Amino acid sequence: MKGDKLLYYSLLPFAAVVIAAFILLFAVISYTSAPAIKEYGWRLFTSSAWSPSETGPKSSKYGLLAPLYGTLVSSIIAVILALPVTISTVLVIEEYAPPQTRDLIGSLIEIMAGLPTIVYGLWGLEVLAPILKVHVYSPLHQLLGFIPLFSCRPFSGYNILTAGILLAIMVLPYMVAVARDAYRSIPMTYKEAALAIGANRYEYAKIMMGMIKPGLIASALLGFGRAAGETVAVALVIGNVPLISSCLFKPGYTISSLIANQFSMAPLYPYMMNVLFTGGLILLIIGVAANSVAVIMISRSRLR
Amino acid sequence: MPERLGLVERSIVIILLMILIGLVVVDITLRVSCCFLQRYGGPGGQVRIMGSGSTFIYPQLKHWISLFEKEHPNIVVNYNPTGSGAGQSQLIKEKVVDFACSDPPLSHDTYEALKGRILQMPVIVGAIAIVYKIPGYNGPLNLSAKVIAEIYLGKIKYWDNPEIVKLNPKAKLPHVEIKVIHRSDASGTTQVFTFFLHKAVPDLWPESLVGKAISWPVDRTGRGLGAKGNQGVSEYFKTLKSAIAYVELGYALENNFSIAAIENRAGIFIKPNVTTMMAAVSAALKSGLLPSSPLADWSKALEAIVYAPGKDSYPIVSFSFMMVWNVYPKRKAEALKTFIEFINTVGQENVIKGYAPIPKELREINLKSLNIIRGA
Repeated sequence: MKGDKLLYYSLLPFAAVVIAAFILLFAVISYTSAPAIKEYGWRLFTSSAWSPSETGPKSSKYGLLAPLYGTLVSSIIAVILALPVTISTVLVIEEYAPPQTRDLIGSLIEIMAGLPTIVYGLWGLEVLAPILKVHVYSPLHQLLGFIPLFSCRPFSGYNILTAGILLAIMVLPYMVAVARDAYRSIPMTYKEAALAIGANRYEYAKIMMGMIKPGLIASALLGFGRAAGETVAVALVIGNVPLISSCLFKPGYTISSLIANQFSMAPLYPYMMNVLFTGGLILLIIGVAANSVAVIMISRSRLR
Repeated sequence: MPERLGLVERSIVIILLMILIGLVVVDITLRVSCCFLQRYGGPGGQVRIMGSGSTFIYPQLKHWISLFEKEHPNIVVNYNPTGSGAGQSQLIKEKVVDFACSDPPLSHDTYEALKGRILQMPVIVGAIAIVYKIPGYNGPLNLSAKVIAEIYLGKIKYWDNPEIVKLNPKAKLPHVEIKVIHRSDASGTTQVFTFFLHKAVPDLWPESLVGKAISWPVDRTGRGLGAKGNQGVSEYFKTLKSAIAYVELGYALENNFSIAAIENRAGIFIKPNVTTMMAAVSAALKSGLLPSSPLADWSKALEAIVYAPGKDSYPIVSFSFMMVWNVYPKRKAEALKTFIEFINTVGQENVIKGYAPIPKELREINLKSLNIIRGA
């Protein structure tokens, strides 16, 4: 009993460091972004201009609207593309694949999760973007050009859609892991019941997916959070142009790629560091919100 | 924990306690690591000089450092290419490095605040190449500041635009859209490039479009692309079929990009190389805009060297500066002086591809710093 208490108290500081680090992070980021918000106010979030000036805050223009738009759109594309793949993968792994194939796919997905993101970025830059431009974007534009999303002529492979597709590939392992956990927590009796009432494969899959709906939502939200925060890979393929357009073939910007691009010179400009920290604060809030809802969803799916 | 507290109260107390303990642990760690690092001066006998800043000068500086350390095994020079802005800030504000390298000199205001305490030395000359890729055409290309400005403004869209054809009567230029690549990070390269456009065609390219990071007008047309660093620009450029970009000369040479000849102040089309870069520097020396001491204000240096007069001068040329304080601990001061002397003597004889050495007049000015830097 005494040993238990001792162990508990000796481990406490280490666990505490995690919480303290997060609180410090939040405090420092908020504290550093405050001057920018005070100086520029709502203009920071309603304009897309980015022309810093060394002479003073009045002649500098900072706007985070286009990067914010790019972050949201590329992450939403990523989740929309990755979700069906996640569902199919989970069904294949858990239901249809023979054990050896299942292990192979499972470990491949785990390897995908562990790859450094710069590897995805370079692959996206050198291989994915040029191929997509010639074999996907140009035909899409010719066939479906009447839809605003595909209305502009694809000018290069570096655009918001490429970033979304690359992000979809990158967040897939995380989404599969969450969805797979949820799927495994379905009690066997439910599965047997579904089969016993004569459900065919499609109906069975539909029932099972209905049961893990909160798990799927959680996996989508986690995927969204990860996609929104991804930096290097996106900065390489998105084109880095502060542009807001309904057409997905136009280049764009994300908050994290903006920070990666501008950070090294930021100390030279008054308020630029603060503006970048404001971008960081937005990312942090998006991340915390997405993850918290996801965690709630996961715990709800476990209660069933 | 007293028994009468409820579960909620108990968890609140525990969480608060954890936060408190955590903060204390983090605080102690930070304090210990900071002071330990400050006191730690490197192994005995060796002197360690830390520098950071410009990525542009990095390949050249790496070459110099390796030569220097062979000659002076007791001095270790570390250089971290964090970018000119970060370098200035680490030297001046954070004071964590002993020297910084920056492509732009200190701005006039910053200089005024540090006057008499900070030394600036132009140590190498660089040039920016305008590179192009035109489908079905591999020949040479002449460009003027006006045409480049109109391309980056989004006004010229196709290679067969009459203005480009007028400069290149012999070339067969196709009716293909030009993809316009620029830097997405704040960079000295962008500053030199935009400053050149402003100086050459001020009516077309206003002062508001000069800087390390600007709002590119061509971006609004959707035909602009931004990439991080010279490396990023080169990668985009390689994968596209029809494009224009500005990169540091070294990158253009290394990747075998087609380099355009640019119309200089005398109206002659000039390609960047050591001779034409040196010609621009001599013109800058004659301009009277360059000061004669490392302690002086160098903020006009760009004005002197960009779009300089002379029929052989390449118009988009710049210096890269080394910045140091005037007082250091004794041994560090000696080591730093040795390094500065090396750069301005042996170093200038060992300049790698894509850069040009500084002329004798500037070396003499730089060497004055040996009498200014003091050990305390």
